[in-house]
Amino acid sequence: MIWQGGGGGSPLFAGIPREVAHRAARLMEREPDWGLPEVPFSLRASDQPRFTLWVLLAPRRWALLGALLLVAVETVLLQAGPLLTKVGIDAGILGHDFGVVVAAGAGYALTMVLGGLATGARVAWTARLAAALAYDLRVRVFAHVQRLSLDFFSEQRSGRVMTRMTNDIEAMNQMLQNGLVQIAVQGLTAVVVAALLFALNWELAAFTMAVVVPAMLALSIWFRSASERGYRRVRDGIADVLADLAESLAGIRVVAAFNRAARNVLQHRRINRTYRDAEVYTAHVTAVYGPATTALGLVAQVLIVLTGSFLVVHRQLSVGSLTAFVLYMTSFFAPLQQLVQLYSTYQAGQAAVAKLAGLLAVRPSVVDGPDARELPLVRGEVVFDRVWFAYGVEPVLEDVSFRVQPGHRLALVGATGAGKSTIAKLLVRLYDPTRGRITIDGHDLRSVTLSSLRRQLGVVPQEAFLFAGSVRDNVAFGRPEATDGEVLDALRVVGLEGLLERLPRGLDTPVRERGVALSSGERQLLALARAFLVRPRILVLDEATSNLDLASEARVEAALDAVLEGRTAILVAHRLSTAMRADAIAVVEGGRIVEMGSHADLVAAGGPYARLYRTWMSHLEGGWRSRRVIRGTGQVLC
Amino acid sequence: MTRAPARVDPDPEKGWVRRLVPLLRAHAPILALALAASVLASALQVAIPDLISRIVDLLVAERRVAVGLCLLGLVLAGARFGVGYLYRRFLLQTAYEVEYDLRTAIHEHLSGLSFSFFDRVQSGQLISRANSDVRAVQMFLSFGPAIVVQVLMLCFALGVMVTMSVPLTVVAVAAMPVVVLLGTRMRAQTFPLSWVVQARIADAAVIVNENVEGVRVVKSFAAEHLQLRLLARAARRIQWATVRQNDVVARWSPPMQNLPGLSMAAVLVLGGWLILHHQLTVGDLVAFTAYIAMIQAPMRQLGLLLMQYQRAAASAQRIYQILDERPQITDPPDAVDLGRAAGDVRFEDVVFAYRQGFPVLDGFSLHLRPGETVALVGRTGSGKSTAARLLMRFYDVQAGAVRLDGHDVRGLRLASLRAQVGLVVDEPFLFSISVRDNIAYGRPDASLEEVVEAARAAAADEFIRRLPRGYDTVVGERGYTLSGGQRQRLALARTLLVDPPVLVLDDATSAVDVEVEERIHANLRRLLRGRTTLVVAHRLSTIGLADRVALVEAGRVVAEGTHAELLREPRYVEVLAQVEAEQRRQTGRARAGAWEPGVEMEER
Repeated sequence: MIWQGGGGGSPLFAGIPREVAHRAARLMEREPDWGLPEVPFSLRASDQPRFTLWVLLAPRRWALLGALLLVAVETVLLQAGPLLTKVGIDAGILGHDFGVVVAAGAGYALTMVLGGLATGARVAWTARLAAALAYDLRVRVFAHVQRLSLDFFSEQRSGRVMTRMTNDIEAMNQMLQNGLVQIAVQGLTAVVVAALLFALNWELAAFTMAVVVPAMLALSIWFRSASERGYRRVRDGIADVLADLAESLAGIRVVAAFNRAARNVLQHRRINRTYRDAEVYTAHVTAVYGPATTALGLVAQVLIVLTGSFLVVHRQLSVGSLTAFVLYMTSFFAPLQQLVQLYSTYQAGQAAVAKLAGLLAVRPSVVDGPDARELPLVRGEVVFDRVWFAYGVEPVLEDVSFRVQPGHRLALVGATGAGKSTIAKLLVRLYDPTRGRITIDGHDLRSVTLSSLRRQLGVVPQEAFLFAGSVRDNVAFGRPEATDGEVLDALRVVGLEGLLERLPRGLDTPVRERGVALSSGERQLLALARAFLVRPRILVLDEATSNLDLASEARVEAALDAVLEGRTAILVAHRLSTAMRADAIAVVEGGRIVEMGSHADLVAAGGPYARLYRTWMSHLEGGWRSRRVIRGTGQVLC
Repeated sequence: MTRAPARVDPDPEKGWVRRLVPLLRAHAPILALALAASVLASALQVAIPDLISRIVDLLVAERRVAVGLCLLGLVLAGARFGVGYLYRRFLLQTAYEVEYDLRTAIHEHLSGLSFSFFDRVQSGQLISRANSDVRAVQMFLSFGPAIVVQVLMLCFALGVMVTMSVPLTVVAVAAMPVVVLLGTRMRAQTFPLSWVVQARIADAAVIVNENVEGVRVVKSFAAEHLQLRLLARAARRIQWATVRQNDVVARWSPPMQNLPGLSMAAVLVLGGWLILHHQLTVGDLVAFTAYIAMIQAPMRQLGLLLMQYQRAAASAQRIYQILDERPQITDPPDAVDLGRAAGDVRFEDVVFAYRQGFPVLDGFSLHLRPGETVALVGRTGSGKSTAARLLMRFYDVQAGAVRLDGHDVRGLRLASLRAQVGLVVDEPFLFSISVRDNIAYGRPDASLEEVVEAARAAAADEFIRRLPRGYDTVVGERGYTLSGGQRQRLALARTLLVDPPVLVLDDATSAVDVEVEERIHANLRRLLRGRTTLVVAHRLSTIGLADRVALVEAGRVVAEGTHAELLREPRYVEVLAQVEAEQRRQTGRARAGAWEPGVEMEER
């Protein structure tokens, strides 16, 4: 059973019981409609202080203080019990006064009820605080990621952004939700109990603390480091197991073809054994720690009873106090153990803070200048004026200059890596040139705001990337306020009106829904419709037809003519057929424009383009041994 | 030693726990040790408060310090540590051993399943589900018995308490059922909410992932602000759900935690009354308070146990589903071992369909004489690649037969058949191991010289030497990313190294540059001598390798002959024209239609 998470659309919950899913659905019906929250955002350069935990907490410091107060009230109330038991035993039972016993019992019960109320209030309060902080954090980090320029998003770093936004925020969330408050709760409990122990009898308290606390701390510290080591081993172990399983399955045909199954089975056993050994190590660690703390608690009890008995015999301690001592000892242990555990959560949270701070400290390389203006509606004259560019040290573009008249098409041709796509990226200002300048209608790209520039540009990348939303969301990506009519219009222009009949929910069909398999041609046409819908003055197509089959290519090329009508276009051409239809062709070689002109001129000139043209044609020789022209099909086969 | 896994009971009629019994039996010694130690640990745990109560009584009644009893207490505490260690350590180890058994058994079983199974299921989902299912069973085995033992301890404790005072016991445990009930109620409410929270975190992760993957589109369309607001909405939804979840906890957990405290208060009052009326000793009262603290944990965990049991039951069923899947392609009992094959390949009226009612091959017949190279030419979907797969016995024919040296491939031992036939496909899979290990995948004992030689034959040596660490460069998902052409060349080298007498090249060089392909073909013409080769031709150039061409249409061979002979067949010419068009699309060459008429081509 697949149960759709409302609106968000994660088809999770496969395998959860039906009634649980129903209950979850009912709960979510009560959720307010959040709309799209207003969040301030700017692409200007800004100087923020280095991110620390306090930077996040400071705006909510009063709520934090409130939470700590509730913690204090709760702790004091819940630790009153053993003290009242002492009164009950000493003054009541041993003093033969049942009234005192009843009063102590009633007092005990009252502190439990009030303490419970305080606990409830504290949980609800801190949950709100932590959830609000998590919201702040998610928005803050993501807003920063949105500001970062394209150069940041190399393949490796993209993965890291995902980790920051998921694991690290989750680790911080854990620290905020459980860690900090629990550290306060447990720390305060330990302090209150210690104080009570000393108040009851400072000699006995000092004695037990001297014996028990060092042992307890030593044990816990050992456990923490040992279990961390163990869990790291387990984590690596399971990762290897899963990776090996995944490869065995992904390559199952190769495994079969090369008769490797038996060998791989042994390998998988070996990897699984390493994992199991890691697990058994953690079993050893927990098996030492758990019973050791229990035994230590028992030893402490016995020692208290033993030494306490001497004190009682010498009338330096009452039996009630001794009982209270034994009871408090239990509630003194728990927080110590907890604190050691919490320290890991705290450390993980701090590590996450450091990593997030690292991400938040990255400065975007392309930002709105301090006096950037809105780009007015342009006619579409594009000029590259002696542009140089390098991703690193090695220049990718060297002294590139050209001018495209409004409404004209320029095709860029050349080998892979020559710099064609870089020219396209610079025009969209995904990067800034290292030297020279790029202007549109005379406006230097760096002098206008990024959003006003990009609103007038339409971009169709090589890989048509579709987002997880509906067809409508994807087409209207650049103009979310577009009406359904406009979206349909854009689909019609690119020749995709037939697609809608195939989709179960029309424009609202999610593009990634099962059964809605869009061909790569259709995806590319959607991307084209997306670019068309923003009604750009200038279109940039980066090898938009390179991954298509013949039929789709023909459709896309036909749609292109409709879309390009009256617009300036820069086409990174993969095929000569596309290039030949442009007003001008620029041949890019090694980061330079080596030749520029119309198809006919360039062929006539006999330069690099003519050579390129000849090579492409002669490639049709393929591996044929004999030349042959097959007539009747209109095709030439050599 | 890496031991073979214990196997689950193969009888699908049995219950899930009973099917696990063989696994538990395989680890019976450590399991028995753990269980024995746990009983002892419980007894000791219960004995100590009783001991303390006696010490206190002696103290109150006789003003005497029971040093002996105290020393006994210390000994008992030490013993408690020893048995506690044995019990936890070996109980967990049992669970981990069972996990090992299940994981390796799943891997081994999947490795033996037929490809029709993998055509049906998505292996990524299969892996993640199997992983969490194994984990659920392991969790249950790790904690289930522990909780049972705790319940045992609870019973011991109750026994001791009853001997001290029945009414006080009743008061002490009165709150317990309520605690269990509250726990169940709370879980029933938080469980769906925690799913909602998880789902929403996943939703937010999807937004981030899409944003990062589609960053060029986001930036090009100046959609950063909108994306941020979308994320903010997702974050609000997470916030709302977490607050709801914690509100449930805030409502239910205080009574759960503090009801035992109320019991304590009641025990104090009633116990006081009983002591004053000489029906109870002070020591008993002290012991009672210790017991109340002790029995809370098992009560709370009882509900947890039930939940884990349900989860493990569902998980185990899914694991059994995998393990019960029968492989369709297996060695027959009297399978024949083929020595080195001569290479006579025969398809006899083969009928095959991936899906019932949609035959891909329908009366496919073809004979390849030893040492012959035959090209299959046909439209996409005509069944060429399927024929190649049947020769490897990746699937079994539904009618007819595929024969190697006169033996029906179904009668040969699979390993022996596959050792004779080498298959190179257009989108080869490489493992995340070094280039060298990838090439030597079929012959792990091959020397470096042999590997290099195979790489040379596949025109791969040059680019491999330019890789960051040459032949030791790790490639694939967790290593260096190779281009499609480079991958194909490695795959070709991998097969050439095995030196199989029968070779199937399924569009094996489609992503390789034309010049490199020329070199490969030159090498192949030499290497194919004396080898029976079936070439699935998606490119015209590959046909040049073949002695003979078979034209495939709608799942059968409709014409056979040399390329020159077949050119007289209009159908062949038509298909060639189409293949040629495909070829152009794949390599991005100029369109035939755009050519100026009458352009003469130079002969190479």
